[in-house]
Amino acid sequence: MSATIRPFGMLREYLQGEKEAEVAAGQTVRQALASLGIPPEVVALVLVNDQPQEKDYFLQEGDVVKILAVIGGG
Amino acid sequence: MNGYGGQILRVNLSNGQISKEPTPPEVAREFVGGRGFGLYFLLKEVPPKADPLGPENKLIISSGPFSGLMIPGAGKCDWTTKAPLTGGYASASMGGHFTAEMKYAGLDSIILEGISPKPVYLFIDDNKIELRDASQLWGKGSMIVEKTLKDQYGEEFQVAAIGPAGENCVSFAHINHDYGRQAGRGGVGAVMGAKKVKAIVVRGTKSIPVADPDAYRKAGMELFKACKEAEMLKEWTSYGTTIVVSWCDEVGALPTRNFSAGSFEDGKNLYGPVMRQKIVITDKGCFGCPSPCGKYSRVQRYNTYVEGPEYETIGMIGSNLGLNSIEDVAHANYLCDEWGIDTISAGGVIAWAMECYEKGIFTKADTDGLELKFGNAEAVFKLIEKIAKKEGLGALLADGVKRAAQKVGKGSEKWAIHVKGMEQSAYATHNATAMLLAYMTCDVGAHHNRAWAITYDLQVGRERVAPEKVARVIWLQHFRPMFDVLGGCRLQWVELGIDRNLYLPALEAITGIHRTWEDLELVGERLWNLARLYWMREIDGFDRNWDLPAPRFYEEPPSSGATQGQITRFEDVQKLLDMYYEQRGWSPQGHPTPQTLERLGLQSFVN
Repeated sequence: MSATIRPFGMLREYLQGEKEAEVAAGQTVRQALASLGIPPEVVALVLVNDQPQEKDYFLQEGDVVKILAVIGGG
Repeated sequence: MNGYGGQILRVNLSNGQISKEPTPPEVAREFVGGRGFGLYFLLKEVPPKADPLGPENKLIISSGPFSGLMIPGAGKCDWTTKAPLTGGYASASMGGHFTAEMKYAGLDSIILEGISPKPVYLFIDDNKIELRDASQLWGKGSMIVEKTLKDQYGEEFQVAAIGPAGENCVSFAHINHDYGRQAGRGGVGAVMGAKKVKAIVVRGTKSIPVADPDAYRKAGMELFKACKEAEMLKEWTSYGTTIVVSWCDEVGALPTRNFSAGSFEDGKNLYGPVMRQKIVITDKGCFGCPSPCGKYSRVQRYNTYVEGPEYETIGMIGSNLGLNSIEDVAHANYLCDEWGIDTISAGGVIAWAMECYEKGIFTKADTDGLELKFGNAEAVFKLIEKIAKKEGLGALLADGVKRAAQKVGKGSEKWAIHVKGMEQSAYATHNATAMLLAYMTCDVGAHHNRAWAITYDLQVGRERVAPEKVARVIWLQHFRPMFDVLGGCRLQWVELGIDRNLYLPALEAITGIHRTWEDLELVGERLWNLARLYWMREIDGFDRNWDLPAPRFYEEPPSSGATQGQITRFEDVQKLLDMYYEQRGWSPQGHPTPQTLERLGLQSFVN
């Protein structure tokens, strides 16, 4: 079972420039980020299938997760 | 002159004289526009030690080379004056449509001088410029006044107005425009109120000359294309600045109960998606904006409408006051807007008062019977009105948190969260040293918009005290405010991440002057140093002590939340300041050295 993480912008640096990565479903977004070496702290917004979710959301089969960095704010 | 309206409008309110003079080309070349013009006229024309509410102070409103042209976010104007809140430099940036209209009326700056004997509003319709009687408008809310004037003159007139708080010279009174954009901080509204100017109404129909119209159109299209193709366009537009509420809560940057912590146990009620679902009815944008970040909301419970709340208001009036309902925050936001006070300073001073009440320093006798505990929304609503009217406890709070704490004493200075007398805006900095330094050294007081450095803190290590952090803060302080100089919005660069080099061909095509970002950042550095000289001139003994943060950030580790137990050491506060002065070429007391002034060509500005 797998889900897809799609980092935007500077977060792609954590995937060496790749636009997406497969992760196991059944874990939280937070755990999935950690498994990819992405510090949850730098992720501002998590959209699962275009719906905002918290980092404690449990990933399901086929979920597409966009993660956005805090670029600048304010 | 290419890229400019071409004229400075001078309004002497004491004798009613209205005059225009051509915008000096050398000022345009050196100070570019917007905030640059504001500082130029402030230094040149407002005498040292002027009373901010007196006739010698001036209120300078300036557009910039981008304003009113086909550039994304070309809707910003700058309001500069000597600040009633701090006694130092005030510069507030206002969005909406006002700047475009004043530019179309041929105006680069409007300078309000003196004091009117009676309430007036300034009416500008191209070359027809008059002071008109405002006695029917005096005492009314800023937004109802805007509607009244637009009904009278037409929708195409743009209106900037003060509420009763400005009339009463509340030290953090603001100026409203387009039903929810503001010139917010430092008390710019109080200066307008002291001058008895209730509103400025403007319409213009002239063209703006540009050096190379074809190149300008092409460069403008490239900028709009970059915005439209930005990956985050949809998300940014959906949530606006509220996009960071959840992140700030998560990393301990969300001010909670007077900055006693950086996470709020009820924070989830205030997150962007929750707000959007509960109260937002439409997105709202400024002039020429492809990424409208304004959120126009309807608060059913109170039957009010408000543009907002923005992140800052959610932080300062929401979590910082312990309010856990977005509807209550939105209603308080509406009250601040209509009465005419800055939500950031209001949140800062009310939080201080709540802490005083909870600590027993205020009793109900002092609070006019209000139960001023954190979380009491009704008390907040009532207090906003009292502040605007300077009634009861409101009279004390209307002076700002620094003066209020000085008056009350009893140790309450310890929890007055400000720098230089300006209440700190909504990033808790118990353990985020770059952002802390940004607040300490911001040129108007503890405001975030010059150097928003908190993500950098999270990226490189929040407690690190290193030269790179200082360098980052300094660079941001030169670069970000350049958007205020150009008369445009920085958020397309900041939030959508578009390439800042796309702005350069546009600027050159408009003005006919080739400038690189190094050139513009040098303008930024010169303005930064000039603002510093202004503080030194206006405040006797102004030195590094004025750059120190609130003691809470080096004495009181939060007892909960993401930064529980974390605090910055005072020796690191001093170290940050030492590195900052060294990198800036300032003395250990925080004064620009003669060598620095010579390098920047600013010797003529020193007496």
